[in-house]
Amino acid sequence: MNLFTRYFRINLLATVIIFILASLAFYFLLWYVSIAQMDEDLKIEQREIETYVQKYNHPPEPISVKDQNTSFAVSDIRNNYRKFNTIESPNPGEKENFRQISFTLPVNNQWLLFKVSKSLEGTEHLNRSIVIISLLTIIAILMVSLLINRWQLRRLWKPFYNTLSGVEKFRLGEKAIPHFENSSITEFNFLNTTISQFIRDADKEYFLLKEFTENASHELQTPLAIVRSTLDVMMQDEKLSESQSNSLQAANSAIQKMSRLNQSLLLLNKIENRQFSNINSFDFKTLVQEKMSDWQELWQGRNLNISSSLESATVSMNEQLAEMMISNLFSNAARHTPDGGHIQIKLSTKIFEISNTAADGPLDQEKLFKRFSKAGQTTDHHGLGLSIVKQIADVSAMNITYAFSKGDHIFSVHLNPASI
Amino acid sequence: MKVLIIEDEKALSTSIFTYLNSEQYICEIASDYHSAMIKVGQYDYACIILDINLPGGSGLDILKELKAGKKAEGVLIISARNSLDDRLNGLNSGADDYLSKPFHLSELAARVAAIIRRKSFDGNNNLKFEELELDVFFKTVKVNDRILDLTRKEYDLLLYFISNKNKVINKSAIAEHLWGDNMDMADSYDFIYTHIKNLRKKLIQAGSRDYVKSVYGMGYKFTRS
Repeated sequence: MNLFTRYFRINLLATVIIFILASLAFYFLLWYVSIAQMDEDLKIEQREIETYVQKYNHPPEPISVKDQNTSFAVSDIRNNYRKFNTIESPNPGEKENFRQISFTLPVNNQWLLFKVSKSLEGTEHLNRSIVIISLLTIIAILMVSLLINRWQLRRLWKPFYNTLSGVEKFRLGEKAIPHFENSSITEFNFLNTTISQFIRDADKEYFLLKEFTENASHELQTPLAIVRSTLDVMMQDEKLSESQSNSLQAANSAIQKMSRLNQSLLLLNKIENRQFSNINSFDFKTLVQEKMSDWQELWQGRNLNISSSLESATVSMNEQLAEMMISNLFSNAARHTPDGGHIQIKLSTKIFEISNTAADGPLDQEKLFKRFSKAGQTTDHHGLGLSIVKQIADVSAMNITYAFSKGDHIFSVHLNPASI
Repeated sequence: MKVLIIEDEKALSTSIFTYLNSEQYICEIASDYHSAMIKVGQYDYACIILDINLPGGSGLDILKELKAGKKAEGVLIISARNSLDDRLNGLNSGADDYLSKPFHLSELAARVAAIIRRKSFDGNNNLKFEELELDVFFKTVKVNDRILDLTRKEYDLLLYFISNKNKVINKSAIAEHLWGDNMDMADSYDFIYTHIKNLRKKLIQAGSRDYVKSVYGMGYKFTRS
């Protein structure tokens, strides 16, 4: 729910409630006032009758006109009594209400009960009209104020939404820092300067970090290059003894591991920093097939049974990353499949799935994609492969899941289909 | 053929020098921007191995200078900066190839050889080693003038061996060369062995001598002795 909807919902609810209450109060007040007025009129009638009785010492002829009835009868009540009430029409077939005054009057030594009633039809009509008019006015006021509010609010909040869309488009590491227009409203200007400052700081930090990673990699890679090339030169010595050869080879494979680790860390950083921002649409199937043919002989050498069912799947992501993702998944599967096991590769339009025979039970979901987590204590691998896959999935708006079923590890990548 | 090594790390440039300097190449070393600029201005080289980060300036500026002077040198950039930007920058500025540190010297030698071949063909696509003759353009191999049927990998392997003749080549270097470095199968080199075995068999059957020597624990050596 956005700000406006929320605001209008609250606003509308409150206004409507207030207006309804006000209308009700208005209606009853009006009704009360009209009835009081009517009662005054009836009192005048009473006085006229009293005057008449004093003058002629007999009650007036009961007359009934359309809107007024007068009648009297001998009363049981023998004192002064007066009462007002609302009755239904005394004329059969009429639906209107009447206001009636009942009072007693001594005439010729006996008490008579007079009843004078007046039609309320006019009053009711008036009341209804007034209420309808006021309701219409209320609705009109509501609508107009809603429109004005909406228009005014949109105008007022426009700088805020501009800022929001600027921030939304901003990506760390891209050189374009969003420009915020000045607003006449202090708070928005404050917001803009704060965000600008924040973005500049973040950007600075980001570049420092990037620079640091690059420098660290440079500092690490140069000594690695020296060690590796020195070992390569030492290897050329024909007089090496067997134990010297073994030592050399041990140093060599350690360096190999170290440079691969360094490379993977750099890669992870680069993916995290979204340095692979070049995105295009391509058929995932072609890439999987290419990688499969690369791996074919490595799999054959291990006597692995490979099966695949591939459908075309157009995806939109960075192609280099896609390639790395497939490679890492293949490499992961190959590493953890016992000799003679099977690897199954499936690709549909939405899911890329690779399953392989598990050497042991299910893997720990929690640790699976964490850096340096290793299944079993195999030391020949750095445990970054799946982190890289996960990171690639994250930056490509894809999702990767792991399941264990019937002795197989299953990794499923939910692809990000290209929107065409 | 002269090769210039522009690299500020003495230990690294010495290793490269030791490995490459042979009957085939005469190597020189420049260890900072200024001495490199002087050498580049005075002499012609078949290939220049160029580091990007140098004391006194950037290797990319040397590259620009070379290109401005219309020099025909092949340039191989070696850099610890293996980010894509740098790779593209280097190649766009006219470098012939890019190799990121750390690398195997055998890989460096293969790249240097490839660059020199490309630069100084003179219409000659052939590379000879005793009775072997490689056409690097059509990627074919002849033994005693008879065409040998090799797979793509076997051909690459043979070319790699010839570019590193008389040198011990590490198994991991061969694996990286043939399968790329994201082929992370460090623990198993059996598949290399298979390819080497096949290549040897085909060469011997075609009447070539056996040049591939296995070096205990480390790798292989391609040599006539």
